[in-house]
Amino acid sequence: MNDLFAPADVSWTPVSPRLASLRRVTAAILIGIVGVPVALLLGLFADWLYAGLAAVVALASFGWAWVLVGRNQRSWKYAEREDELLVTHGVMFRELVVVPYGRMQFVDVTAGPLERSFGLATVELHTATPATDAKIPGLTPDEAARLRDRLSKLGQAQAWGL
Amino acid sequence: MSDETAEPQQPAASPPEIAAVGVLEPARVHPLTPFVRGWGYFVGAVAVIAQNEGLRSELSWAVIGLLGVFVGGVVLGGLSWWFTKYQLTPDALRVDSGFLFRRTRIMRFDRIQAIDVAQPFVARLFGLAELRMDVAGGGGSDGRLSYLMLADARRLRATLIATASGLTQESMHPETMEAPQQALLTVPTKRLLGATLLSSTFLASAGGLIWLAVSTTVFDYHIGLVAGIPLLLGVVQPIWKQVIGNHGFTVYESPDGLRTKRGLLDLQRQTVPPGRVQGLLISEPLLWRLLGWGKADLDIAGVAGSNDLDEMTNGAQLLPVGDRAERAALLHRVLPGLDLAAIEMHPAPERVKWLRPVGWRYLAYGADDQVLVTVRGWINRRTSVVLHHKTQSVRLEQGPLQRRLRLAHVHVDTPTGPTDAVALHRDVADAAGLLAAQADRARHARRTQNDGVS
Repeated sequence: MNDLFAPADVSWTPVSPRLASLRRVTAAILIGIVGVPVALLLGLFADWLYAGLAAVVALASFGWAWVLVGRNQRSWKYAEREDELLVTHGVMFRELVVVPYGRMQFVDVTAGPLERSFGLATVELHTATPATDAKIPGLTPDEAARLRDRLSKLGQAQAWGL
Repeated sequence: MSDETAEPQQPAASPPEIAAVGVLEPARVHPLTPFVRGWGYFVGAVAVIAQNEGLRSELSWAVIGLLGVFVGGVVLGGLSWWFTKYQLTPDALRVDSGFLFRRTRIMRFDRIQAIDVAQPFVARLFGLAELRMDVAGGGGSDGRLSYLMLADARRLRATLIATASGLTQESMHPETMEAPQQALLTVPTKRLLGATLLSSTFLASAGGLIWLAVSTTVFDYHIGLVAGIPLLLGVVQPIWKQVIGNHGFTVYESPDGLRTKRGLLDLQRQTVPPGRVQGLLISEPLLWRLLGWGKADLDIAGVAGSNDLDEMTNGAQLLPVGDRAERAALLHRVLPGLDLAAIEMHPAPERVKWLRPVGWRYLAYGADDQVLVTVRGWINRRTSVVLHHKTQSVRLEQGPLQRRLRLAHVHVDTPTGPTDAVALHRDVADAAGLLAAQADRARHARRTQNDGVS
């Protein structure tokens, strides 16, 4: 079952576990932005009991997010085959993308401020269609740079016409 | 028919003045261009003045205002015309325009993917035409040159195409400058009308309108006539698009690919250069299927970048409505060696009925060494055909329900266009097999393709 989305004949590289930390921080910030004002408002205008309940709900959803993020982070893997890049991710909704290097139009390496503080970067491979969803988050900057150079080199060497 | 009257200049009638177009001197577009472009503003000004109570009572002011708009329009249009020049350089078409903000656009021949001659209604009245160039990667109205005399536009198009396909001017004979055309088929107006009347948008809107009329007149039950506007639109729009827009739809065969011509008011021409076809979509709505009718659209590189929203979503029309034999014949022209009937189709497993109670019977895919074919939909059956050597990426997808049923989708991505090749709900083993096979086929197709070129 599992090998459907991760064929065993290629060596898979997992993404950095720091991706989970990054997403947990993001989740904490988001839940905090929503949860703190809601709890305060409930406490000030209704009852502090409701505020406590809201805090519990926020904490519980954070705990849930913690688990989901961990599972999701472990599901992100990529592999470089001779002619194609393979990216797989997802636990509930799973996806495996196979992109021939020669189809590459350009490679994007992005790193937001939060990502940078965790020492992470995202590499995205673009083809002539936006449907291609070949995005690898949670790479270390070195690995991202290596992948970028390798992909652009292979893309050039194997380029096909449109 | 108006098609014939609109085209007085047949290739034989126009003396071959290649030199006039082939010159490297900058040339101006037709002097009527600003008028054809700007008449709408003048009409708009008239409408505004007519609406304005105060101005209508003081006619002299209205006349002065109109004159002002007119003179301003003439001056601005004249300036813009004066400063717009186009020029053929050895490897590109160069267009300079703008008098305040100068702009130079250089369209390299080797980047031009398709060139069409279009005639919007007003331009057509004056025998003018616009050249539309699809430039790879360029979006918007970038590749337009308007307006030229129809004959000039055609000659320029022929020159550009000949240059783009690597033929030098000297080797071209004047009579072959305009690629000879041979009409393959014309869609009769009767069938366009029939197809519109049988389309779901039209039927639903017409039904709604009748119900609205009956309920307001007979039962005196006013639901608000505002609801009638979208319904009316739903009745008129398909007729407008299908019967007027596709009037006299004709497919020609010419050395630079298949060409289509259509339109009662705006005459649209489109060229399908061979090798630019990325995929093909055949749609057969429920009612059309009873008559064996279907519609064929093409994904073409370049057209997807056009700013025409309609073309972006619909690609290039190959056939607005046609029967099986016509479709098969055209498909064969577009993709030589393709015979859809000969491809073995694999239906989806029966357990898909838990997810798609009716549609599961219609899900299928098949492949040969050139294309992958997927079929889906029972209200509107859509058959997507994508070429292996145009495949951008292959994706495997699975949701939680599918996982329980051991099913998965396989997407084959091609550049943006109407086709959407998805083998929906395949057995997991089948899906994995298809994924690997698609990657292999794409790799193989690419190798053989590259060998063929070198």
